[in-house]
Amino acid sequence: MSTNTANPLAGEFELAMDGPLTAYWLAILRVLTGWWFFHAGMTKLLEDGLAYSYGPMYMQGMEGTALGPIPVWMGNNLAWLIAPGVPLFETLIGLAIMAGVLTRLAAFGGAFFMVLFWVGNAGFGHGLVNSDLMGLLLFVTIMVLAAGRYYGLDAVIEKLQFVQQRPKLRYLLG
Amino acid sequence: MTQIKSTVDRAAMAVSGGLILLGVVVLGLIETLAGQPYGAAPLTNDAGEVIAMPLIDPNLRTGLVILGLVVLLLWGLYKLATPMAGGDTETTPVESTAD
Repeated sequence: MSTNTANPLAGEFELAMDGPLTAYWLAILRVLTGWWFFHAGMTKLLEDGLAYSYGPMYMQGMEGTALGPIPVWMGNNLAWLIAPGVPLFETLIGLAIMAGVLTRLAAFGGAFFMVLFWVGNAGFGHGLVNSDLMGLLLFVTIMVLAAGRYYGLDAVIEKLQFVQQRPKLRYLLG
Repeated sequence: MTQIKSTVDRAAMAVSGGLILLGVVVLGLIETLAGQPYGAAPLTNDAGEVIAMPLIDPNLRTGLVILGLVVLLLWGLYKLATPMAGGDTETTPVESTAD
């Protein structure tokens, strides 16, 4: 048995890859999920620029959800951030996930968006497990499995001396 | 493979997993067994009138799932804030043979 003391997170997050197929599929999953958000953000940017006024309106309408008054408050008070932030962050999250850069941080952002969509759309006619929840699970899966390490740039970034000296950055990369 | 050993790690995984499964699967099963609507939204007729409400408030179920995700987030922040098992500074890879 060998012990790798180089990466303290190795035992915690590394997936014992069952041949190249797992890495291949994680990369496909990551790129498609990234494209999903990139396309959603980019088309909003093309149509509305940084003035996506539907974002604050959407959140103002999220009354009586499990998130309580938080989204309504955000819609009323953070419109200045939400209107440009939705298209911008969707685009950046998508780009980061597709390229596999800061993958975990970007996937956290995606999961945050999907919580709002899941609860806000409330398309529960066929149960709680709908496409919004599946999207949320995709982002959490990308985070947990550190999908950016497989054919993603985080595999290269994590080998930089800067990151090697600060291994906790792997909680945001990966 | 795994080095997750501490009580905090185990508790975080158990609580977050438990909350998510409770919100989706356990309460979903109860909702289904309770009869229509089998989903988590009100049942309406062709005229759009509500003829049956879910037994369990969807807000409770989504709230449980979100709480489970928040526990995962807090766990991650805790891991960020506490020293790593192998130390915060990267060391040279060492291949050693077990006994």
